[in-house]
Amino acid sequence: MANTNKMIFAMVAGILYVVFGILKMLEGFGIETGLAELLLIPGDFFGGFCFVVIGAVFLYAVKELTAGVHMGVSYIYVGILMSLVFMAVYLLVMGSDILMFYVVKSEDYEGWRIIDSMRPGIYLGILSLIGYFFWKDRFTTEMTKA
Amino acid sequence: MEKKKITIALAGNPNVGKTTLFNAITGARQHVGNWPGVTVEKKTGKRTYKDTEIEVVDLPGTYSLTAYSIDEVVARDYVVEEKPDVVVQIVDATNLERNLYLTTQLMELGSRVVIALNMWDLAESRGDKIDTRKMEDFLEIPVVKTVANRAEGIDALLEEVVREADKGEHHEHEVSYGDDIEKKIIELEEIVGKDSALSGKYPVRWLSVKLLDGDENILEKIEGSSVGTQVNSVLSTIEKEDYEAAMAEKRYEAINTVLPQVCVKCVKEVTFSDMIDRAVTNKYLGIPIFLAMMWAAFEVTFTVATPLMEFVDMFFGWLAGVVADSITNPVLGSLLGDGIVGGVGAVMIFLPNILLLFLMISLLEDSGYMARAAFVMDKLMYKIGLNGRSFIPLLMGFGCNVPAIMATRTIEDERDRLVTILVNPFISCGARLPVYLMLAGAFFGRQAGSVIFGIYILGIIVAILSAKLIRGTVVKGKPSPFIMELPPYRLPTAKASAIHMWEKGSIYLKKAGTIILVGVVFVWLLSAIPAPGVDAAFASEEILGTEDSMIGVLGHVMEPLVSPLGFDWKVAVALVFGFIAKEIVIGSMGVLYGTGEDEDALAEILTAGAMSPLTALGLMVFTLLYVPCIACVGVVKKETGSWKWTLFMMVYGTTLAWIAAFLIYRIGTAIGWGV
Ligand SMILES: Nc1nc2c(ncn2[C@@H]2O[C@H](COP(=O)(O)OP(=O)(O)O)[C@@H](O)[C@H]2O)c(=O)[nH]1
Ligand SMILES: [Mg+2]
Repeated sequence: MANTNKMIFAMVAGILYVVFGILKMLEGFGIETGLAELLLIPGDFFGGFCFVVIGAVFLYAVKELTAGVHMGVSYIYVGILMSLVFMAVYLLVMGSDILMFYVVKSEDYEGWRIIDSMRPGIYLGILSLIGYFFWKDRFTTEMTKA
Repeated sequence: MEKKKITIALAGNPNVGKTTLFNAITGARQHVGNWPGVTVEKKTGKRTYKDTEIEVVDLPGTYSLTAYSIDEVVARDYVVEEKPDVVVQIVDATNLERNLYLTTQLMELGSRVVIALNMWDLAESRGDKIDTRKMEDFLEIPVVKTVANRAEGIDALLEEVVREADKGEHHEHEVSYGDDIEKKIIELEEIVGKDSALSGKYPVRWLSVKLLDGDENILEKIEGSSVGTQVNSVLSTIEKEDYEAAMAEKRYEAINTVLPQVCVKCVKEVTFSDMIDRAVTNKYLGIPIFLAMMWAAFEVTFTVATPLMEFVDMFFGWLAGVVADSITNPVLGSLLGDGIVGGVGAVMIFLPNILLLFLMISLLEDSGYMARAAFVMDKLMYKIGLNGRSFIPLLMGFGCNVPAIMATRTIEDERDRLVTILVNPFISCGARLPVYLMLAGAFFGRQAGSVIFGIYILGIIVAILSAKLIRGTVVKGKPSPFIMELPPYRLPTAKASAIHMWEKGSIYLKKAGTIILVGVVFVWLLSAIPAPGVDAAFASEEILGTEDSMIGVLGHVMEPLVSPLGFDWKVAVALVFGFIAKEIVIGSMGVLYGTGEDEDALAEILTAGAMSPLTALGLMVFTLLYVPCIACVGVVKKETGSWKWTLFMMVYGTTLAWIAAFLIYRIGTAIGWGV
């Protein structure tokens, strides 16, 4: 069944976003998870909350698809859109960091490297980007046939 | 025990099973006659359900409630004039789209509707999966499945009918006809509302809608009333046929947004809009998704603005240098440098933030998402006793409270409107943002974004709780219907969004050039005049912005009021002048601390001991809640037409601000946080 792939995708994306979201929230509270450096996770409570929301949207797709509701695919679509929005946000942040370093030459940015602006929002977003281009128009056409 | 008596009317399209259902409810207790004056058969019957005696009236079958046929006139006159306790609309589950058209009209009539989703057996055998819960959510109407010819679902239906009749108040959803038509509706509502004979008998929105629909029967009624000529002059400005068609289209548009959510099989084609709606209007996920989108908008507003702010900063730094180099007269130099460039520059530095914030709001609006946010929030708002229509004006408050308060004119109900006006200033406008940015930037570093987001959320919570409080005490009554607008999603165009951004952002620029300029010059003047008994020249270096100037005198008068909050006299002065425009809180701090437009220098002085993170947080919260700016106070007076309510708002807000800042300072000090 065509939905199996989508379910696996939603499950993986959902778990990733929820886990990263929780890590961000913990770090935001000042609780050291020990993963911050390795995974480039910034401490950010609300940002983490947003990740949990995205994850929940993906997982809701799994819930509906498991129950045989074809429209559950909607949640994958919206989860992808949201993660792309957040990817764009973090890319914009990176862009502003680049400006601060190269153009403004701000003191606060001494020793800044591009990797310092790399965020989970960006690398997790790549997953969604792949999903988006893979399914794109088939999202609605398959739904209509179903 | 005395039995309760209620009257219900059965409405529906022809051939949906109305007669069958009528028979199933009433059995043999029927009476057949004619509707007065016409040869349309009228059937009534009786049924006792539990301890309620129900009188059932069978209305003629109709597709709509516009006066096209005698059947439609009979049906709607009965609903409007006899006001049955509940109207049961029998809906053919196999033909939802066409049947819901009548539902939209019943909703407009303001009657309490219960839907009997009949022919359920046929829909089920066809494999349609109809989500009645979702249907109830979107329409705000209880839905009961029935199979009339097998008398199935009758008890459940009567149960729901009795419950609906008993309900103290009910929430209504209505179709929105889009900005242009809605404007005409409001215009007509205002006129029609003046005739108390009409407005006492019919819902004014419904009358206005019907007038635009070209309903002859209503036109006749209006022509004979006291407002006939006024109404005609409004109607003469529009092309009636166009309106009628456009309005029918809007009703179908609303139905077609709801339909795919309720029954996928009932639509020919599922669109991306339908898919997005399914997730963003989800009962559990809707509000979290809304919060996440708002956060994303904030993150862009704050971080992307940083380099742009640096550029503005460089410009004003350069300007200050030019002033210092070229103007030799010390008084003029100080006025221009410390006063104007310093004060206005301290405000202008936030122009990138303001523009980005407006750009984000424009993007959310132009994409169609904001309308969904209003819908999702309506549920929450109603639960806490507020009107869904209040949401848009509240949202607009994030830009500026002045137009937002003017936008409350779309709220028909006077009490709803009053409450929405009174709490609007708690929604943090763009002018308060510079204060948060400055303070959060100085004291909370990387966490600044989250702190500011938290302040905004606090504003929303205070607005909501205050509304509930005011609603439950000084302004009692029931909220009015929510006008649902769910336009299809669109990818916003850069051009349109940029134009919207500029429309709003230029107001900020204009403000910086006028009221803020005057305000900072005034602050500079006060800080340049020596205090009585101080022997120094006007605008001399040693008194400027110190306790030896007039502003110091003022500050020390104010200081005891704010010292329990941990604020010093300079903050007191800044807050007083913030009444002119909230940005001036920052502008005048620049003058008072002698740092001018140099925001970093001000941050340095503040963090070096002039303030603590705790008092900074207190000041942000105080700025959020205390008396709004003078322009806002003016518009509140104008829109409420009452000094009493205007004063109430000012005192209430300032009291709240004081208590909140006090608690933050005291509790924070006690637990040793941020001191
Ligand atoms: N399968 C099915 N048929 C129904 C149901 N309700 C009514 N009918 C049939 O639909 C036809 C029209 O019903 P009627 O009561 O005359 O419709 P009216 O025009 O709305 O009064 C009749 O043949 C009924 O037996 C139902 O729930 N399921
Ligand atoms: Mg009949």
